[in-house]
Amino acid sequence: MTGTSARVRAVVPGPGRGHTEGMNREGAETHLRLLTEAELRGPMAPARRQPWAGPGGSTTRLTAVAQALTAVHALDHDTVEDILADFDLAVSLRQRADRYTSGPVGAAVPRPGRLVFPSPGMLAMRSRLAAPSPGEPARSPEQGPGPGPGGPDRLVPVGLTVPYRDEDLSGEMFLMAFAHTAAGARFTMVWQTHSVHDPEYGAPVHPGLLPFERFTVTDNRGGRYHLNFARSGGPEWAGDVSLRPEPPDDISWLDISAPGGPVVRVVLDPGAAPAAGRTEPPVSETKLSPGEHLLVMLAEQLLTVAPEFPHDLRMQLAAISPGPLHTMATGMGDVIAALEAADVLSPLSPVPGRLAAVCAGMRVSGHGITAPPAQDLPEPWLSLLAHYQRRKPDTAPVHDGYAAVATALPELDGIRLALLGLLNTDGGSWLQVLARGLDPKTPETPRGPFGIDTYFPLSVWIRDSGGRWHACRPAGWHRHNGEYVLKLQLVPPLTRSTDWIEVLAAGPSAQVRVRLPLRWGYLH
Amino acid sequence: MPCGQGRHIVRWDAGQLWLPEHPDAEAELVLAALGGEKAGCVVLAETWGRHTSDLSVLAVGSRGPADEIVVSWEDVEAVAQAGQRGGAAGFAGLRRPALRRLAVPPAAAAGHSARQRQMEQEMDRAAERRNDILSLHALGYGFAVRLAGQVAAAHADSADATARPALVAAITGRLALVAEQWLGIDPDQVDEVSLHYGPGWGRAELTGKEGGRRLRVSLPASWLARVWACGLALTGGHLVVAVDRAGWPDARVLALRAPGDEPVLLDVHAHHYDGRDGPADAPHWEV
Repeated sequence: MTGTSARVRAVVPGPGRGHTEGMNREGAETHLRLLTEAELRGPMAPARRQPWAGPGGSTTRLTAVAQALTAVHALDHDTVEDILADFDLAVSLRQRADRYTSGPVGAAVPRPGRLVFPSPGMLAMRSRLAAPSPGEPARSPEQGPGPGPGGPDRLVPVGLTVPYRDEDLSGEMFLMAFAHTAAGARFTMVWQTHSVHDPEYGAPVHPGLLPFERFTVTDNRGGRYHLNFARSGGPEWAGDVSLRPEPPDDISWLDISAPGGPVVRVVLDPGAAPAAGRTEPPVSETKLSPGEHLLVMLAEQLLTVAPEFPHDLRMQLAAISPGPLHTMATGMGDVIAALEAADVLSPLSPVPGRLAAVCAGMRVSGHGITAPPAQDLPEPWLSLLAHYQRRKPDTAPVHDGYAAVATALPELDGIRLALLGLLNTDGGSWLQVLARGLDPKTPETPRGPFGIDTYFPLSVWIRDSGGRWHACRPAGWHRHNGEYVLKLQLVPPLTRSTDWIEVLAAGPSAQVRVRLPLRWGYLH
Repeated sequence: MPCGQGRHIVRWDAGQLWLPEHPDAEAELVLAALGGEKAGCVVLAETWGRHTSDLSVLAVGSRGPADEIVVSWEDVEAVAQAGQRGGAAGFAGLRRPALRRLAVPPAAAAGHSARQRQMEQEMDRAAERRNDILSLHALGYGFAVRLAGQVAAAHADSADATARPALVAAITGRLALVAEQWLGIDPDQVDEVSLHYGPGWGRAELTGKEGGRRLRVSLPASWLARVWACGLALTGGHLVVAVDRAGWPDARVLALRAPGDEPVLLDVHAHHYDGRDGPADAPHWEV
């Protein structure tokens, strides 16, 4: 196949059936179908004497385009699945070795060849267009006293250590923040355990789950609660513990008692809580089209995936193959063409040029982007590119530490984020986040083109007090009553205990910047 | 085609599938509904009828004589039996059934069960569709293109805009191979295809030079049925854009010698073809 095939253009009559919500859905579907036509000419290779790698050999672009058009909602899952299923079948019918044997067509005589079918759902599976899981109720029936949906949240930075000790283990639980929302009340926390039998007592035991069932929690009214632990990606010794049953939303404090340890009081009185985060920061417009926003996420995916391939390994792989980043970038030009066909990306948009600049800065070729690399890259992108381009970018991370943060960001494109802690541990850094407003029909294995986590359609960056920017990419989540608890991994990790961070969160139409002072705590 | 213990003739004529050896197929269907065995020919006729407006036929089927799809009845039988055995991953793999969204989100346990049932139903439908398509292609190239023509005709005059993307892609994929022979260009140089509406036949223009040439064409959706499916697309070195007077074996067509030219009327004649360079049952026309 040549690159020109991807540029087959769909000429769709002006606004009509296909134009809804500013998108040209007919143009999007036509573009995807035309791409399948171009890709299908590969399996016709025996007649046209062109190389064809068989099913899966040349469909990277098709998969990426299908995922991109789905991600911007220009096409629905069902339409894409139908188109790809037809393509699968069309390819399969053309995979006979003896397709040009002589003899009467349709004869019932035995033939030496058999139809060769690919592995189950080969293209649709690769496209990872998994069916969505049913939405969850916004609030479980047993919930009662907490803030209702849309009601005021209670976010309190904590920063307290709860020590414990029993006959086998000792350790500490560090509480970063308390959050009481429509889905319930929870602490974000990390812990560390030590085996009292270990001759090298003092070295942490990982993983070693705390005996949460032996913790007792009471409030100022005498209410008693259990702690239920849940992970959300990132380090195994970090997560959140929810309170069962849900406490009233106006309690003043909680006493937490661990085995063998003192009672630790967590003051929840808003009047006693630090002022940080209680004033909503201003929101500014970004006015990105859905296509531009997807390309921004794509660029950030490219910028953040690099650490998975250390510099030396990238160089070695590049010597024997196009390299992992090159493979990842295959089809970017086709995605841009598809987004333009769907009218979700203007041909005059500067974003494709910025994406090309990121590719150039990371020495990724084969992306197919025709726009020249732009000079006006966003400051965070430049910061990360500069980090990679330093001779020794993998600087030693800071010692383990945990910052108490509890801040709600204003709603961005229907999504509300609450920041509930920052972790430096195990050589990485993570931001603990509570997200409301994510698509309840998020597929169980949500992936957009090039591995983008489309279920979390926001761009989040952190600037440390040294002026360096860190991209935040989803590293795991769990869902509870319509809310998502996420770990966002910082790329690169923090290299020192920064005194403050500036958080930049952006959606397609709005962004917010907020500067947060940090109180670090440490486990021993 | 195999039918019962023997082999029967199936015929397509004037837009319809005929079963000469089953003159009362309707009665056979009634008997089958009462528990009798359904004849293979009758099953095939039902299959044909299910797909005469199925746009997937255009997406899956042959793009022209150079893209012959050969399926034997033995293949059809083997795939059907493999599907009945339940395993047959190699055959079932044509499609991961689309798990459609449920209208009402079920509770967790019930939801899992419902999704399972839904997936099984989707898999059954996908298998039936796959077996249908295989059977229809086992009839041979000549039948396959006529079915494609019927599908295109069913949508050509429709106001249903949802069919437009599939029709544009169907014309593009077929015209690309025709253009390769007509102009010696790469099929990928067919750069822009649109559906023509209203009076006239449409337009065709070639821009650029050598590797930068681009063919832009606008044709009515009916071109697929009236020209391409009849094997007229490239006749006597001309791109046929419309049929002025239909007929067999003589017809009159409107054709372009080159992009940008005014179309001319050509009298064309069909004759039997020896199949040396393509399907034996492909229609063949000469000026």
